[in-house]
Amino acid sequence: MEQRNPTLRIIAWLWFAISIAVLIVGFREAIFLTPPDAAQGDVGRIFYYHVPSAMWSLAFPYVNFIASLFYLYWRKRDPLKALTADAMAIAAAEVSVVYSSICLITGSIWGRAAWGIWWTWDERLTSELLLFLLYVSYLMLRRFSSTGQTQTLAAVISIFAAIDVPIVWMSIRWWRTQHPAPVFFGGPGTGVDKSMMPAFVWNIIGWGIWGIFILVFRFALERRRQRAEQEAALHAIEASLEISK
Amino acid sequence: MTWQSFFNLSTMQNRHLLASYAVVVIIQGGYASWIAWNWFHAKGTRH
Amino acid sequence: MKYVRHVLDHLGKDLRLEWRSRDSINGMLFFALLVVVVFGLAFDPTSYPTTARQISGGILWVALLFASITALNQSWAREMRNQVLEAQRMAPSPASALFLGKAIANMLFVLVVEAVLAPIFIVFFNLHALGNLWLMALILPLGTWALVVNGTFFAALGLRARNRELLLPLLLLPISLPALLAMVQATTGVLTADLDSIQIATWIKQLAGYDIIFTTVCILLFETVLNAE
Repeated sequence: MEQRNPTLRIIAWLWFAISIAVLIVGFREAIFLTPPDAAQGDVGRIFYYHVPSAMWSLAFPYVNFIASLFYLYWRKRDPLKALTADAMAIAAAEVSVVYSSICLITGSIWGRAAWGIWWTWDERLTSELLLFLLYVSYLMLRRFSSTGQTQTLAAVISIFAAIDVPIVWMSIRWWRTQHPAPVFFGGPGTGVDKSMMPAFVWNIIGWGIWGIFILVFRFALERRRQRAEQEAALHAIEASLEISK
Repeated sequence: MTWQSFFNLSTMQNRHLLASYAVVVIIQGGYASWIAWNWFHAKGTRH
Repeated sequence: MKYVRHVLDHLGKDLRLEWRSRDSINGMLFFALLVVVVFGLAFDPTSYPTTARQISGGILWVALLFASITALNQSWAREMRNQVLEAQRMAPSPASALFLGKAIANMLFVLVVEAVLAPIFIVFFNLHALGNLWLMALILPLGTWALVVNGTFFAALGLRARNRELLLPLLLLPISLPALLAMVQATTGVLTADLDSIQIATWIKQLAGYDIIFTTVCILLFETVLNAE
């Protein structure tokens, strides 16, 4: 571990620098270079932060789901690998909550400015809200459950959440086509003009790179904590052995 | 847009644009800072 | 069919225990009544009959949701005393049989509460359904099962948690939202006759689909939860 550390550190800093650089380019494109939207004016620039966050908020839950499956698989077979999977699961859940809350808040602010309403119960917003709630409940379970069980129970909840998300999407989609909402939030990719593409592409790549950065950073933090716990447990065992000698 | 028009708070639309970008920076930056703070305060392991 | 035998044994045990003390069902009944009264005061349905009919579907299910949560929270309490849970883990019957037996028992308790609640609800809200009320005989059990099956599972999840009573609604509500949507829409459709039979049928089918999917997932995953340590 000692030998790998410097290389990993360099890669981490490099990745961080690249993500900041891409985000700065994305910001410049979105604010200064792209012409203002014909219908909405400058407020439409919120699109370049809102839509990438929305898209990435749909990806990270799957990282959590897959990590939880690996956790359950390795739990009895290879506990050390299982621990790693669990660290990735919690990191992915937190990052999902971050991205979906950004999506909801920026969407709401944009909606108020462009269309006059803070919220509507249409399919996209409701499913995004559900996604947010599901992963917050995942984090609550991790906080409240007694240690020793936490990881397994959280993995189980993650499976429920992953199954629930498509169900939510389908049920709300059907609901909304029966009672169409009077206002629709601009969907991704529907009529994205060529002049908007550079800003959009820079931002979606930038937020993706940033997302991976904080995912791995959080993962590394969790691994650090896990190792510290294991060391503490080892200390305690060694100390009790010495006392009994 | 220019830097001046970006920070111009006179119209509601502009305030909302600024607010949403601020929210993104605050949430993402805040989360990253939280991780970093915990990283340096986590009990160091003896290698 | 040994599995069915095991499920029935667990079910019988829960029903017998409940019959002897009857505290869970009494608590639920009274709580549901209180919730209906509170909502009645809050919305004054008799003065606004049309509005009342439109929101009563939602109110009924919210009342049932809260009532079931109170019962679900302590449905596992019996297994906690006298280390019964350890005995259950060592028993030769599969863990999912324990889960199913308990879920069915909870289902029966909530159905009893519904049977008592429905007439009271109709009286307090001055309801008379404009649609086919017999559909409720389909919607009520399907909807109740959706809440009970997930609720029993999540109540077991929180068994050794710090804030056990709080954890159940925190987990149950987000997961149940699609089912809640379906049951409320179907019930409102029946009460107000605003939806035609095909739309109501689609909601019922969605509810049934939700029930099947989550019953399967709960049965498959219960073993993991029981042996989580």
